[in-house]
Amino acid sequence: MDIRPKVLITKIGFDGHDRGSRVVAAYLRDAGMEVVYTPPWQEIPHVVKLAVEEDVDVIGVSSLATDHLIVPKLMQALRESGAHDVAVIVGGIVPDEDEPALLQAGVRRVFHAGAPLSEIADAVRTLALEVRAARLGTTS
Amino acid sequence: MNKPGDDLLAAMLAGSRAAVARAISAVENEAPGARKLVSGVRTHLGRAHVIGITGAPGSGKSTLINALLGAYLSAGRKVAVVAVDPSSPLSGGAVLGDRIRMGEHGAHENCFIRSVSARGHLGGLSRTTGEIVDILDAAGFDVVIVETVGTGQSEVAIARLADTCVVLCPPGLGDEVQAIKAGVLEIADLLVVSKGDTALAERTERDLHEMLHLGRKRSEWAVRVLRVSAAAGDGIAQLMTEIAHHEQAAGRSRRLRPETTPSVAAAAALCQTLARRDRFATALGIELVAADAGTADVALTIGEDHLNFNGTCHGGVLFALADAAFGLASNSHGVVAAGIDAHITYNRAVRKGERLVAQAREVSRGKKLAVYRIDLSNADGACVATFTGTVFVTERHHHS
Amino acid sequence: MKLPADKPLTDSAQARWRQECADQIGNERTVRNRSGIEISPLYGPADWDSGRYGEDLGWPGQPPFTRGIYPTMHRGRTWTQRQLIGLGIPEDYNARLRDMLAHGATAISLIPCNSVFRGYDMDVSHPELLGTCGVVANTVEHLDRCLEGVDLARTSVALNDPSPFTLFAFLLTTARRRGVDWRDITGTANQSDYISHCVANHMFYRLSLPGSRRVLLDTIEWCTRHVPKWNPLSVVGQHMQQAGATPAEAMAFTLCSAIQYAEDCAARGMAPDAVLPRFTFFFDISISFFEEIAKFRAGRRIWARLARERFKAKDPRSWRFKFHAQTSGVDLTRQQPLNNIARVAVQAMAGIFGGLQSLHTDSFDEALSCPTTEGARIAVATQNILRDEARLTDVIDPLAGSYYLETLTNQMEQEITRVMAIVESAGGMYKAVEQGLVQKMVGESARRFQQRIESGDQVWVGVNAYQVDEDVGARAPLAKPDAAKMKAHVEAFRAYKSRRSQAEVAGALDALARAAHDPQANVFAQVVAAAQAGCTHGEIVARLRQELGFGQPLAMV
Repeated sequence: MDIRPKVLITKIGFDGHDRGSRVVAAYLRDAGMEVVYTPPWQEIPHVVKLAVEEDVDVIGVSSLATDHLIVPKLMQALRESGAHDVAVIVGGIVPDEDEPALLQAGVRRVFHAGAPLSEIADAVRTLALEVRAARLGTTS
Repeated sequence: MNKPGDDLLAAMLAGSRAAVARAISAVENEAPGARKLVSGVRTHLGRAHVIGITGAPGSGKSTLINALLGAYLSAGRKVAVVAVDPSSPLSGGAVLGDRIRMGEHGAHENCFIRSVSARGHLGGLSRTTGEIVDILDAAGFDVVIVETVGTGQSEVAIARLADTCVVLCPPGLGDEVQAIKAGVLEIADLLVVSKGDTALAERTERDLHEMLHLGRKRSEWAVRVLRVSAAAGDGIAQLMTEIAHHEQAAGRSRRLRPETTPSVAAAAALCQTLARRDRFATALGIELVAADAGTADVALTIGEDHLNFNGTCHGGVLFALADAAFGLASNSHGVVAAGIDAHITYNRAVRKGERLVAQAREVSRGKKLAVYRIDLSNADGACVATFTGTVFVTERHHHS
Repeated sequence: MKLPADKPLTDSAQARWRQECADQIGNERTVRNRSGIEISPLYGPADWDSGRYGEDLGWPGQPPFTRGIYPTMHRGRTWTQRQLIGLGIPEDYNARLRDMLAHGATAISLIPCNSVFRGYDMDVSHPELLGTCGVVANTVEHLDRCLEGVDLARTSVALNDPSPFTLFAFLLTTARRRGVDWRDITGTANQSDYISHCVANHMFYRLSLPGSRRVLLDTIEWCTRHVPKWNPLSVVGQHMQQAGATPAEAMAFTLCSAIQYAEDCAARGMAPDAVLPRFTFFFDISISFFEEIAKFRAGRRIWARLARERFKAKDPRSWRFKFHAQTSGVDLTRQQPLNNIARVAVQAMAGIFGGLQSLHTDSFDEALSCPTTEGARIAVATQNILRDEARLTDVIDPLAGSYYLETLTNQMEQEITRVMAIVESAGGMYKAVEQGLVQKMVGESARRFQQRIESGDQVWVGVNAYQVDEDVGARAPLAKPDAAKMKAHVEAFRAYKSRRSQAEVAGALDALARAAHDPQANVFAQVVAAAQAGCTHGEIVARLRQELGFGQPLAMV
């Protein structure tokens, strides 16, 4: 099945360094994907609304400082809104000891700084295919 | 495989935003069941006032929409925005960043913003934008704003879709008004000069007034020119009043009226058929690149046999290329149209080996006459010739 | 591949070298530095002639200032060791501060929590994120506790506090309460450059672009009258370089910002010599060693020329390009983090040879999270080693006269000037940023650099080369603020808010709002008044955002 993945690239929390998220967004576009891009400092409810309205397959959260600590809140909010089938990945600076908690909260992959962009793109594509296939099995 | 079907439609009509989003995706991706969905919403249409906002990149569309959103939401209206972003010609992908400029309103519960990639579609709208608007209309939004790619020149597709067309001109455009292709300024119901608090904006406003005064009147509505400074919030209330006036005068759901509904797919298919039947164009080597209702793009690589005694491309070849696009575009609606007048201006010499594209766009179409504008460009995007043609619209229909 | 320009090959030794060079590396790909300048394998007199000494270099402390802004530079007075710190609650910060001062840091820098950067008080912020990367200070009392035991009349304080400079207002109020005269206060407003914030989205713009402009000019004006030793403006190149600008671009954009600020001040009636002496600069130092040294030397030359010729400044203090520099965190890696100590040493050396006035060295665990105590100590020790063991400062501008360095300085100057011209033709830095032009250029440079990393062209040890399998479990856990203490801090803050005179607070905020709409009023004066009336950081920022507009993202992908 050939699809054009739709991806949301965003930052929640307080950090403003967005060089990484912009580079990833451009790379995914060049890989043929449709990227909804937001600047930093998005509120979690807004991100959820965005994900629903834009019907994205994957959410990529770029996190520096310690913003990853509120990603579980995002996962919770997604579940509560019914958008639990969206795949969430986190990229940036994430201390190794915090990674298990993220995966347990439902994050699919954690990419650390320095991860090759092609690897990120492949993961996004794989996850998007999975999400689309699962959705076709439901009616709403 | 299950199809998104009646359940989705029912959920959508019951107010589920997720269902609206899924319905839009189904239509965008041509999922199974999308056709059924599109016909399913047909009986629920007619509520929304569709406003098209168009203008060159950098003219301030997103800022203006942001201000309009604020005003509509404060008035308790339910507003949806379809933000069309260009797609990359190389990869087909897109960064859909327009909605971020619509600020905090995106978080409001009465606001629904959907970013759409043009997916290479010419004319400034994606192929399925009309169907997306239908879905939003059926879902109960009072106002649907369609923001287009803003190539700035050939936005006639928005004219067919929107009830009210707002064309945004950044200040300074006035100086170049004469050079602006007729298409975009002629589709406007309202002309808005952005960054309206500058002296340059005042001059642009005057230039546009003059241009309107000299131009043809398309309909009963007298096109207004407004100055808006969206960042400062000036002029927004006035713009909304004028939009409301236009709605009263010209009505809603223009896109649903019979003369504006031929389906895009049918138009494209018809053009393919007509192109195959055109023996002269085929003999010259002209190829159909893309076609839609009211638009057609054809291409030709200039060969040895196309040259004149000066060694450059023969003017007749260029004329024929433009005419091929003209013929297809004017006949694309399914009704036989016959050319009655055509002019060409040659802007620069064309050499052997160059690949030219002729893009035909509908400038206006009435019951009896329609006018088209065709631009011929080379691979660098330089305009080598411009052609205008008028057709007489007959009562006969094409049979494919 | 370019080989050194040569005069007719009359010198057979040189000819022989050229031949051997061509034989061995003639087919090598062109080498370019981060600013895009091609680097030859060898430089000689044909590239730069010492006859140009007077024109290109001059003497330290004199135009063109290439060799340094002061006559004795670091031999006379070492650079200020100003380490950035910030974490947890005020007491945590104060403890770390005293530790640093005891171990050699000579000046103070305060980083507030990201919530503060963003303009929010602690009671409306995600509790998990409080105090993880900076100190949570929302009131005068908090700042007072942060700086307990510090003699404000004798210690330079750098505040990382964007417009509207509430922390600075808290500092002034604290000073007044301690009986310290404002005329004795020294330090810098490190995040006062709102233009760089808008370019890099890097820091926490709070106010709209025009709103920030207004507040900055008011603050500069106010400081010239009331706090004359305070540097109210630090023009920042660091954000843009970290966001992806090449070193030459970062210098160019910074100088263009400085020009914009100088012009804005002049438009307000502030003469160049009244404000330029208080302009300081803040740069990133990447690991591109020679390029960074050349960048700083070229910057000094260009600034001196601008100050004298464009702004007609007469005071020699206006011509001096004073700058603080920080080793670049972007070059540091999470993989094999101890390697970062070596990286920081190289970066610091480049800054020292580049003639900085003040230096912050990153801690090796910067790429992992906020620095540990040990990391912070090593960072300061690095500086001490370079100065006291390697004795890098015995000679002023020791690399001058190097054929390579002088050629590169000239080339960097050319490249910087070229980029500056692009900004000028867009109408100056403010307009260029408003249009998104600068952001676009920075984004493209970021993308190009990423491509070089992805292709392996730019080696990154541990990341795209020399990787090893690491036992990540062996790393020491990172420090996080004590949750119980933070909770107590927030509760105390809530109690403080309810204890205050609400009437006084409301009155001060209203006065602030009125000043924002009165072009004749000084907004910063009202910020200080609001601080004195007990308003919190978040209240002041929120009110001004309301009146002057929110900052909106201007950057694109």
